[in-house]
Amino acid sequence: MKKVIILIIASVLLMFLGIAFGSVSISFSLILKSIIYGVKMEISKLLFVFGVEPLKELDTTYFTIIWEIRLPRVILAYLVGLSLASAGVATQALFKNPLGDPYILGISGGAAVGASIAALFFPRYMSIFALLFALLSVFLVYNISKVDGHIPVDTLLLAGIAFGFFAHALTSYLLYVGKERIHNAIFWLMGTFNGATWSDAKLVLFSSLLGFSFLMYKWRELNLLLFGEEAIALGLDLSFYRKAIIFVVSLLTAFAVSTSGIIGFVGLISPHAMRLIFGPNHRKLLPASALFGGSLMVFADLLARILLKPSEIPVGIITALFGAPFFIYLLMKRKRGELYA
Amino acid sequence: MPKQEKQLEVNLRFSYGEREVLKNVSFFAQKRELLAIIGPNGAGKSTLLKCMVGILKGKGYVRYNGLDLTKLPAKERAKYITYVPQNSLPEFAFTIEEFVELGTYATGGDVKKALKLVGMWERRREFITNLSGGEYQLVLIARALAQGSEIILLDEPTSHLDVNHALQIMELLTRLKDEKIIVAVMHDLNLALQYSDKLMLLHNGSIEWSGEVFELKEDILERVYGVKAKISTIDGKPILLAALE
Repeated sequence: MKKVIILIIASVLLMFLGIAFGSVSISFSLILKSIIYGVKMEISKLLFVFGVEPLKELDTTYFTIIWEIRLPRVILAYLVGLSLASAGVATQALFKNPLGDPYILGISGGAAVGASIAALFFPRYMSIFALLFALLSVFLVYNISKVDGHIPVDTLLLAGIAFGFFAHALTSYLLYVGKERIHNAIFWLMGTFNGATWSDAKLVLFSSLLGFSFLMYKWRELNLLLFGEEAIALGLDLSFYRKAIIFVVSLLTAFAVSTSGIIGFVGLISPHAMRLIFGPNHRKLLPASALFGGSLMVFADLLARILLKPSEIPVGIITALFGAPFFIYLLMKRKRGELYA
Repeated sequence: MPKQEKQLEVNLRFSYGEREVLKNVSFFAQKRELLAIIGPNGAGKSTLLKCMVGILKGKGYVRYNGLDLTKLPAKERAKYITYVPQNSLPEFAFTIEEFVELGTYATGGDVKKALKLVGMWERRREFITNLSGGEYQLVLIARALAQGSEIILLDEPTSHLDVNHALQIMELLTRLKDEKIIVAVMHDLNLALQYSDKLMLLHNGSIEWSGEVFELKEDILERVYGVKAKISTIDGKPILLAALE
């Protein structure tokens, strides 16, 4: 419990740092004022039906920067991190393997193809194309793997990897022929929270709450999934839960990717790191990973914004650049039970 | 008049594509009679257990007290029958208590009682990844006991164990057999002869022979395993000796 509280405090602290840092420095009191006013404004909008006069947006630069730019960005980053980490936990349970990654199902590959096509032909609809192609890819990979109505996880893994290569080739081709026209897509492919809006944040809030609550409610089933077909003898409807988990992982990942691009390693590292501290029991592992994933993403975004100030690095570069060595460090630590209390 | 004993009544067939792995395997089992399934590698012993517990979908029935368990959804079936898989190294560092708790998923059974039965309650906070093969086998059995079902299937519960743990497991099963229907695939013929009440010899997916332990004859073993062996008796229990020429 104490460790979870530390994670929550870290989350809040990092989010605050994420709001405080930026090209324009704004004082602590103005930040608080803006947030409080913004919240009041949203509440007054909701109470409009009861005849309450809705508050107008403050016409000051600092309010716009805090409320319209930094806050949605930080919240989106947190929710995307939370989504990817939760999806990572579930994927690792599905594959019975702590090295599973939510992108393995072909979601990121499909989203990349969709975004590239959109960048070439319908530049305004990149998110929607990414989302549709991500879901379409999972659907394809899922059906390729299906045998007699069951999903053998090793086939699913291989189908996902093969599809990933195929999608990568398609994306590369589109980038090659598209040249300048596809510049937006390149930034998106590397993952970024630049230009995040409240509607992005609300969309991911919806998908992450739905997905995370389902997984949390099914923590026992996630534990049992780790034992594969053995779990049938313990009473698990294995076939149903494999499908349900694939569906939820797709939902969480596709919405995260469609708003902010392909940000690697958070879905892989967060559950892995938290397993070393909290153990494999999903009752603790899932919420811890979700909190950790959110914090990690906000932190990575912060680095993306300040490392090459005033210009910005795509956050996907940061997560991979720091994530890969960190992951190797975790692998070397991976002697059984080493970090357990 | 004594109450009719609840019986397990099995009739199963199973094939992987064209290859028939189980050909009409049909038998009974009941409490107080530990049934050991023996037979050479590839005879279909593990497949039989997996079909019985629903991991593999065979043709036929597994009736308990008249109720066909193969027709039930997994969660319902788990209330009647459970399975202790072949001992392989655990990959995930659950504590013993968390691990045994997995057995209560379908039935909400008693973890403490199960762990006390196998003598591991005091060590419940240890990680299963730190246990020896024998200790892990005890924990696997505790998980099945926590499930509370009356039928327990075990796949080679003593394989890879030292003699001390192998005997401990067999003694435990002997203590349990008055309350549970126990069916165990046994690799070690001598342990099977010593501890089981009934034997069933599988060969190429069919029952080659079955009967009371003391009825097993040398020529049957020679026919199935292709080796000469001598069955002797010590303290009234049959024992298998290699018959060297």
